[in-house]
Amino acid sequence: MAVSLPGWAQPAGAFENVIIHTADGEVIDGGTIVWRNGIIRSVGAEEEVAIPFDAYVRDGGDSLHVYPGFIDGMAFWGSPDDNGPGGTPDEPGNPGYERAGIQPQRYPSEHLKSNDQALEKAAEMGFTAAVLGLEGRMLPGQVDLFFVKGNQTPDNLLERGLGVLAQFSEARGSVYPSTTMALMAQFRQLFYDAKAQHQQQEYFASVSSNYPAPTNEKVLEALYPVMELEQPFFFVADSKENIERMLWLQEEFGFDVILVSGKEAYKTAEELRRRDIPVLAGIDLPEKPDWMSADGEENNENDEEGGEEKDRNTKQQEVTEEMQHFRERQQKAYEERINNIKSLRESGVRVGYGSNGLKISDIRKNLLVLKEEAGMMEPQLLNMLTQSTADILGYGQRLGDVKEGRLANFTVFDNPFTEEKAKGLFSVSNGEVTELESKTSN
Amino acid sequence: MKKIVLLFFALLLSLGGYAQEKGSVLITGGTVMTITDGNKENTDLLIEDGIITEIGRDLSAPGGVEIIDASGKYVMPGIIDAHSHIAAVDVNEWTHPVTAEVTMEESIDPNDINMYWALAGGVTSIHLMHGSANVIGGQNETLKLRYGGDMDALRFDGAPRTIKFALGENPTRVHGQRFNVQPRTRMGVEQVVRDHFDAALDYRRNRREYLEAREAYKEGAREEAPVPVAKNARMEVLVDILEGEIRVHCHSYRADEIMMLMRVFDDYDIEDYTFQHANEAFKIAPELRKNSAYTSVFSDWWAYKFEVYYSTAFNASILNASGVINSINSDSGELIRHLNHEAAKTVHYGDTSKQDALRMITINPAMQLGIDEKVGSIEEGKHGDVAIWSGHPLSIYSLAEATFVDGKKYFDRDEDADDMRLEVNPADDFEHADRRWYEEHGRRGGTCLRGAEIRFNEQEMQFRYQTN
Repeated sequence: MAVSLPGWAQPAGAFENVIIHTADGEVIDGGTIVWRNGIIRSVGAEEEVAIPFDAYVRDGGDSLHVYPGFIDGMAFWGSPDDNGPGGTPDEPGNPGYERAGIQPQRYPSEHLKSNDQALEKAAEMGFTAAVLGLEGRMLPGQVDLFFVKGNQTPDNLLERGLGVLAQFSEARGSVYPSTTMALMAQFRQLFYDAKAQHQQQEYFASVSSNYPAPTNEKVLEALYPVMELEQPFFFVADSKENIERMLWLQEEFGFDVILVSGKEAYKTAEELRRRDIPVLAGIDLPEKPDWMSADGEENNENDEEGGEEKDRNTKQQEVTEEMQHFRERQQKAYEERINNIKSLRESGVRVGYGSNGLKISDIRKNLLVLKEEAGMMEPQLLNMLTQSTADILGYGQRLGDVKEGRLANFTVFDNPFTEEKAKGLFSVSNGEVTELESKTSN
Repeated sequence: MKKIVLLFFALLLSLGGYAQEKGSVLITGGTVMTITDGNKENTDLLIEDGIITEIGRDLSAPGGVEIIDASGKYVMPGIIDAHSHIAAVDVNEWTHPVTAEVTMEESIDPNDINMYWALAGGVTSIHLMHGSANVIGGQNETLKLRYGGDMDALRFDGAPRTIKFALGENPTRVHGQRFNVQPRTRMGVEQVVRDHFDAALDYRRNRREYLEAREAYKEGAREEAPVPVAKNARMEVLVDILEGEIRVHCHSYRADEIMMLMRVFDDYDIEDYTFQHANEAFKIAPELRKNSAYTSVFSDWWAYKFEVYYSTAFNASILNASGVINSINSDSGELIRHLNHEAAKTVHYGDTSKQDALRMITINPAMQLGIDEKVGSIEEGKHGDVAIWSGHPLSIYSLAEATFVDGKKYFDRDEDADDMRLEVNPADDFEHADRRWYEEHGRRGGTCLRGAEIRFNEQEMQFRYQTN
């Protein structure tokens, strides 16, 4: 449980004797960071930074690490479960917007649950800001940007309606749209209907009489900003084919879009780069095939395990030609998937981070896979989690780094954040310090 | 200049991922079954850059072009399946009796290994159809089996648009008998079609009037602001049917319902249509001929549900003898692998000529899909979609040895590796991944009611296990 200490942030705050990591990979040993009124005032080596007389100063003892606050570009922490109206309507083909999962008018800030433990765990993991969405189907709602502050997060809205969440998710149960092709058609029809309603509202406003009142359907109104390029879609798509379907829709309607999750985005990297579509990449990586993990450990296991297990392992060693061929292809597929983010970056696609429902307890494990197996260096991972995500969200000058003038969002760890034993000690979000009392090491 | 333009165009296509590769090959010494011009023994066939450029003797291969000796073998146009549900993500958007707005073009699964197995049966093109749960289902998509290509690469460029209709038990059971939604009866099916066509005509008029009024208002030629009529995805497609831009392929069984739909189409001036399955079509062959209607049937498959008890293995032969352009289709991931056998049954049962039997799986389905100018026979200028058969394709002992699409080889029995899947799931174990699709679904998979099985509970007939 996090303990909030609101009083401490008032005058000025400082950490000294800390190891400061910036988003571009610079490391300042014995550094000092000072903030006031939610803004970082000064960052640098001890001799370069003057600590104000009224500052509450914490000493990092030369061993604590300060990282820019991580930003989750698309999380569902605090979202109520998607268990809205179910059952089968009288006419499955005309279920109404809500039953069909079309709710772009909903704002997370009006629905979030403050008691979701994920909000506290997120702070412990180093997140100080996040775009939060609501769980749902095709168009579950808007996405809002929050400062992450444990159970106070829902009260710490930074921006409402950063975008509209969209996904290829059929309506629950026996209801239209129940297939991918109907989702495509439904997206189109929503655009057509929104355009017509908007047009009628404009006509109505422009004349004083003799004109029928337009409908003011909130669902359709919520799509106007997307149509007018004032808001992007945060579009969740994973398979190459679904990403291509999203690209078809974008080509047809010309909306701005940020791809969320994008497990197979590397297969469409060229096109994403060409259209300058950024990716809030998920790190929900595939499990390593058993045989890949078992390699090299097998001999030891044989010595220790019982007879039955030995038989099983012996059998596993009898790799047929067909099985070998399968393994080679599987290894390639596995490696492609875990190299998704790296491939995208190398292709010139802007990549930030979006958990898209990944359990917080899996984050560090999967970051380690990216580091150790996909060869991503710690500064690259840090950049993806911070500055790069901030840039994609349009907050590149406010969030994403520990620099003078940025919002005071950072986390103090006892070890480098990619190490398994790393533990968040203090979370600073919008200048407010929360002492983290994590019960677990991660 | 023309070359530069072409090069630029090719570059554009490659950037967009339209990898529709073309190949060149010289196939020598085989019996070339042209379909439209008889069989030619000891004949060579030259395909250059995807197009058949020469048919004759002693042809020489241009530099770099592979030569394949087909002596003692048969070279046949690629088989075309006018009714397929392989390579589909979803088949039925069954939630509404009319879903003309959805399209199989957006429901392609480019990784389905069934395409490779179909290639092994000499098939080069399929008509990927929406299912039969709805009176007016979704639009279909004609594909070339360019196995390994992405969704765009699989498209048959220039193939006319088509749409699925369905009559009889499927739409009445899915909608009227489960929900209080028309149609509950065959009468209702007819009314659903008529009501939607009438609505489409109204829509066309209203929408056009609105668009004209909007322009006039914008230009100051009209004083009153118009009331918008939203573009409607469903109605737009129905309008296209009425304007003859989309061919209808209608799931049907009984003679009376086929006659009904022909009357409806006559009322709305719809001319280009094919009756799929059409097990009782033989009863009304003269009427079909008179309306220039096409049929696409099973060879000898019926009695799998009540409405299809009355049929005969002579159906195809009677239709053919009556001058109806008929094809034999699979509607199945299994039958598609031996459509040559299915066609041969018309020779066996109905004494249809071998040439006509072969037409039923080549040029006839091509005509029904509107692609007969491009494929369906071996003629100079047509696409290089051919298969080399070990013997006469209508023989039970013959096998397709190699299959080419656009002159590029996509199947070669000599190079047929154990695992030809395109996708390997990193998380699957070998045993699980090894269970092939057909072991789970067999003949029952990939059919008209896929996705709508839920509509048929146990109190009703065991539809789940039937193919339609």
